[in-house]
Amino acid sequence: MEATIGLEIHVHLLTESKLFCRCSTRTDDKEPNENTCPICMGYPGSKPMVNKRAIEHGVVISEALNCEVLPEVVFSRKNYFYPDMPKNFQITQYEIPLGMKGFVELGEKKVGIRRVHIEEDPAKLIHVGGDITSSRYNLIDHNRAGMPLVEIVTEPDIEDTKEAREFLEKLSLMLDHLGVYDPSGEGSIRVDANVSVEGGQRVEVKNITGFRNVEKALNYEVVRQRSMARMGLDVGRETRHFEAESETTVSLRKKETEEDYGYIIEPDLVKIRITSDWLERLRDKMPELPDQRVQRFIEEYGISRLQSRIIVHSGLDLSNFYEKTSLLYNDPQIVANWVVTYLLKSLNYEGLSLKESKVEPSTFVELLELIDEGVISERLAKELIKDYTVTGKSPRKIVEEKQLGIMPVDELNDIVEDVMSDNPQAAQDYLYGTEKAVDYLIGQVLRRVRARAKPNVVRKFIMEKLDSIEKLPR
Amino acid sequence: MNLIERAKELDQKFKIFNSIAEKVETGDGELGGIAVSVKDNICVKGMESRAGSKILEGYIPPFDATVVARCRAEGAFIIGKTSQDEFGFGTFNVNTPYSVPLNPHDTERSAGGSSGGGAVLTAVADFPHVAIAESTGGSISCPASWCGVVGITPTYGRTSRWGLIDYANSLDKIGCMGKTVREAAMLLSVISGHDRYDSTVLREPVPDFTSYIDEPIEGMKIGVPHEYFGEGVDEEVSETVRKTLDCLEQEGAKILEVSLPFTKYSLSSYYIIAMAEASTNLAKLCGMRYGLQPELEGNFDEYFSKVRGEGFGDEAKRRIILGTYARLAGYRDEYYLKALKVRTKVIEDFKKAFKEIDVLAAPTMPVVAPRFDEVEEMEPIQHYMMDILTVAPNLAGIPMISVPCGEVEGLPVGLHLMGDHLSEGKIIQAASRVGVR
Repeated sequence: MEATIGLEIHVHLLTESKLFCRCSTRTDDKEPNENTCPICMGYPGSKPMVNKRAIEHGVVISEALNCEVLPEVVFSRKNYFYPDMPKNFQITQYEIPLGMKGFVELGEKKVGIRRVHIEEDPAKLIHVGGDITSSRYNLIDHNRAGMPLVEIVTEPDIEDTKEAREFLEKLSLMLDHLGVYDPSGEGSIRVDANVSVEGGQRVEVKNITGFRNVEKALNYEVVRQRSMARMGLDVGRETRHFEAESETTVSLRKKETEEDYGYIIEPDLVKIRITSDWLERLRDKMPELPDQRVQRFIEEYGISRLQSRIIVHSGLDLSNFYEKTSLLYNDPQIVANWVVTYLLKSLNYEGLSLKESKVEPSTFVELLELIDEGVISERLAKELIKDYTVTGKSPRKIVEEKQLGIMPVDELNDIVEDVMSDNPQAAQDYLYGTEKAVDYLIGQVLRRVRARAKPNVVRKFIMEKLDSIEKLPR
Repeated sequence: MNLIERAKELDQKFKIFNSIAEKVETGDGELGGIAVSVKDNICVKGMESRAGSKILEGYIPPFDATVVARCRAEGAFIIGKTSQDEFGFGTFNVNTPYSVPLNPHDTERSAGGSSGGGAVLTAVADFPHVAIAESTGGSISCPASWCGVVGITPTYGRTSRWGLIDYANSLDKIGCMGKTVREAAMLLSVISGHDRYDSTVLREPVPDFTSYIDEPIEGMKIGVPHEYFGEGVDEEVSETVRKTLDCLEQEGAKILEVSLPFTKYSLSSYYIIAMAEASTNLAKLCGMRYGLQPELEGNFDEYFSKVRGEGFGDEAKRRIILGTYARLAGYRDEYYLKALKVRTKVIEDFKKAFKEIDVLAAPTMPVVAPRFDEVEEMEPIQHYMMDILTVAPNLAGIPMISVPCGEVEGLPVGLHLMGDHLSEGKIIQAASRVGVR
């Protein structure tokens, strides 16, 4: 066992409004501090109003994580002074969470979920001229203050950094399926990681964005803690911060004791009962989760487990795309082959997500149809797909405009004749027993037709012509 | 002379206001042509609202409290913000860097607190006027009783707290003062009722509270808790109240002795809960965004410590420290959670009593208005002990009304009538019969 790792994951929920006020959750087009109101600014006299949709998202997430959902929603005040908190307390759930004692299956093992709860996000601190430890001054943007967050806390069941990354990828895919968060949003998921090595003290690395960074931060921490143990040094209990440029963790503050937050139950809010009716309705509307989808694709479309997992694990957008395309084209296996082998490779190469590319099921199907109709060769299709991924232009149109269709027979015939008259030696070599000479001729033809002819068809032409050539004396 | 000039005159004499409106604005409705004063801790859009504290100097709320908006909708003229103890922390309205109101019956005496300014204005205004006030532990009843006016503290949740600068969220109630029961009851009907901006407001329908006035009280059972008349309560005050109860008996009411055994624990329970909640509510006051905002320098810890050190009065600091202490991990069970349990017991006391009787009656305050120099000599604990008769019903969130019932040495005595939750009607009914004979 490499290490003992527990994760606290904060997810930005996809709702219309913030958690306790009517401010929009969409802030991309707003100036700093423009998306605020007396409630999320904590103005004296203001009081919170609960956004029920956010609670529903929290309950659905708890269900998906196999948690026990508690019958009443109760909020607490977590009190501490910090410039990103307008009230100098955060409304969260302390004594009583939304869900608890759940798990996520990761291969053969289960990673325990200790609790799931909802809370409001603090404001955003912008460090000017450095990072949190080195900035000259800091600016506060309250657009984010009051946004709904779900916090998911795992048991310290994760044993190495790769497992941590896999867990996060699986979790984010599940959340994507549930429709409760926007995976493309910047900072939609923030992770605090707790790491200890070989029975040493626990170190917390806070506020890491991006799964790759989590893996890097954990790798650095594990190495750091191991080296310290080896040198006989005590790893102190502390809070650290991940520095992305140097890929290291840096100490923020020493934590001798647990911080005392002086919790009280939020007296401006009343308890909300999660009735069995409400719970039933949420369960009925629950979307298909990744594991269920993988199984269903195998059964419904007859594809292999490997292909199904690749398709589903590439994201909800992609598996939805696969499904829509398979409905338009009657061979799901072929669709799977093309999606898994060529489309994904192309998207990867261009650095595009499916959403960013202009690929659509209806136009993707055109590619496959063009092959079936014999208008283009498979080889050409594999080349076309690169352009198509970037432009999303209808393949039929591309083929028409660039005249990329399979060459008409007489045109091909002319080219073959040209090549053979340009290379009389090759024909003679073949007649004298050099089989490879044919390949040379095929290559020359293909160079000129540029995938508008199938190699075996070209071979046929050449062989036919070779039959009628006379063997000259050497 | 227009209303504003008259208000300024009265202010000169009795030190009533923290802010006065700049022009008279009134309209049609139940409160058309009537001036409504608002306690300084209740937000009025565009009018400085400081809750009697230096730390909120310059805070001009961008919104009206719901109760204020409802008055405006009924044509009221919001005449100004009345003086109070800082955030409600006090019983004599002396804990404030701003105006300390003077008792109109003897200007060397306290007007009571924390809604002192509102009570004084209610007593001296010679134009149609009612006051919006607020009570956490007795801040409507106390000044009403010492100034000789009527003060109604409704059931917790009867009025919306949206726009109220919090003292203790589970204890704060917005209520009304008037020269007569009728005026106070009328205002209460206007401001009460459900509001989606405050999750703790009840959905109960709001009756016309004035309809209970002068209804006969024959057969009404009035309970007199013996814990409220014993040691610690001035004899002459008790006497005055008992004489009033005799009169009510002559109207046909039945006077019965009752007991509320948890009374003696209510003061500690109240102060622990109130201070614990207050200490979190006041955490947001750290400069930077509104109110007292010195130039930003140093780091955050240095900055907010400086602002809070300068902006809070001693009593506010005392309560923040005690309230924080009561919430800390080592003490929470023993203090905060224990206080919550005692509160349940206090509520049970009242619920049990109301099974047998309709309303409870007692003196509002243990003494008549003290002199300012006497107040100066008092230790903090003596200040707190003044609340001994009002904290229990405030803890329980039951409605209460203080109505003038006589005088001791020329100073008003208040009769406190308390009812079960949502029974404002009964206490208004009983109160309306006081002083009839």
